[in-house]
Amino acid sequence: MAAALNLMALRRERPSEVVVLFGLIRAAVVAIAAGALLAFVFGLWLVHEAGFGYGDGWIVAAIVLFIVANAMGGIGGRRDERTAAYARDLAAVDDAPSAELRRRVRDPISLGLSYGSGALLVVVLALMIWKPGT
Amino acid sequence: MLAILQPADGNLPLFLHVLGAVVVFGATGTVAIAGFAAQRRPEHRPLLASTVARTLLFGVLPAWILMRVGAEWIRSKEFTDGADEPGWLGVGYIVSDGSGVLLIVTGILAWISTRRGRVLLAVPILATICVIGFAAAWVAMSGKP
Repeated sequence: MAAALNLMALRRERPSEVVVLFGLIRAAVVAIAAGALLAFVFGLWLVHEAGFGYGDGWIVAAIVLFIVANAMGGIGGRRDERTAAYARDLAAVDDAPSAELRRRVRDPISLGLSYGSGALLVVVLALMIWKPGT
Repeated sequence: MLAILQPADGNLPLFLHVLGAVVVFGATGTVAIAGFAAQRRPEHRPLLASTVARTLLFGVLPAWILMRVGAEWIRSKEFTDGADEPGWLGVGYIVSDGSGVLLIVTGILAWISTRRGRVLLAVPILATICVIGFAAAWVAMSGKP
């Protein structure tokens, strides 16, 4: 969800459009956070139910990567929040394209955190399926 | 985490299936969110119509294909010809094929929406129906009742 809306925001120039797309990302984040919490809690339960150990290497790695991924997503999200606030200020004045806003929307650190978070979750999925070391 | 109980020989198709399912769920949810938002933000209708159409074309469609191909690949490995197929597999077929038809209709309506510069209300409604169907399939696939 967040990636699709973020990719659209990268192509926009008007601050009000960036505000709309970042606002939708914020709405999506509520669903993402709820899903992440459920996946974590029920995943830990499933480890027990399936007879695996919490100390198994692939499970430890998956838990660590899951936490890191969510932390990265959270940090990236806070940076995006500041960008959205800046875009709101610009939209309230004259809604004219801004080089600074363009720079913030394309900020490589924010993008790296957000897309890196998604990539780590794909790695977690791979660990869940291949279960290396078992 | 649902994949934890699967046999090892179907790892790659299972990975592709689950990855596709996750992305198609999120991308279809994005279509629903953007589509409903377009109803309340008339000044940004063209932007949101474009968002909906691009998400369908570049997110939902390839992810649905990945999910469906992965599913068929797993089925061919686990249920060879003549083997009894469980009921939960039938739920998966109904949802995946049914959602495929609904998503084609949604795609056509999204294309019309971009031409008109506003998102037709049917687009987010159909996307929401698909999301609910995906959630039902998710329960059936993981619980295997």
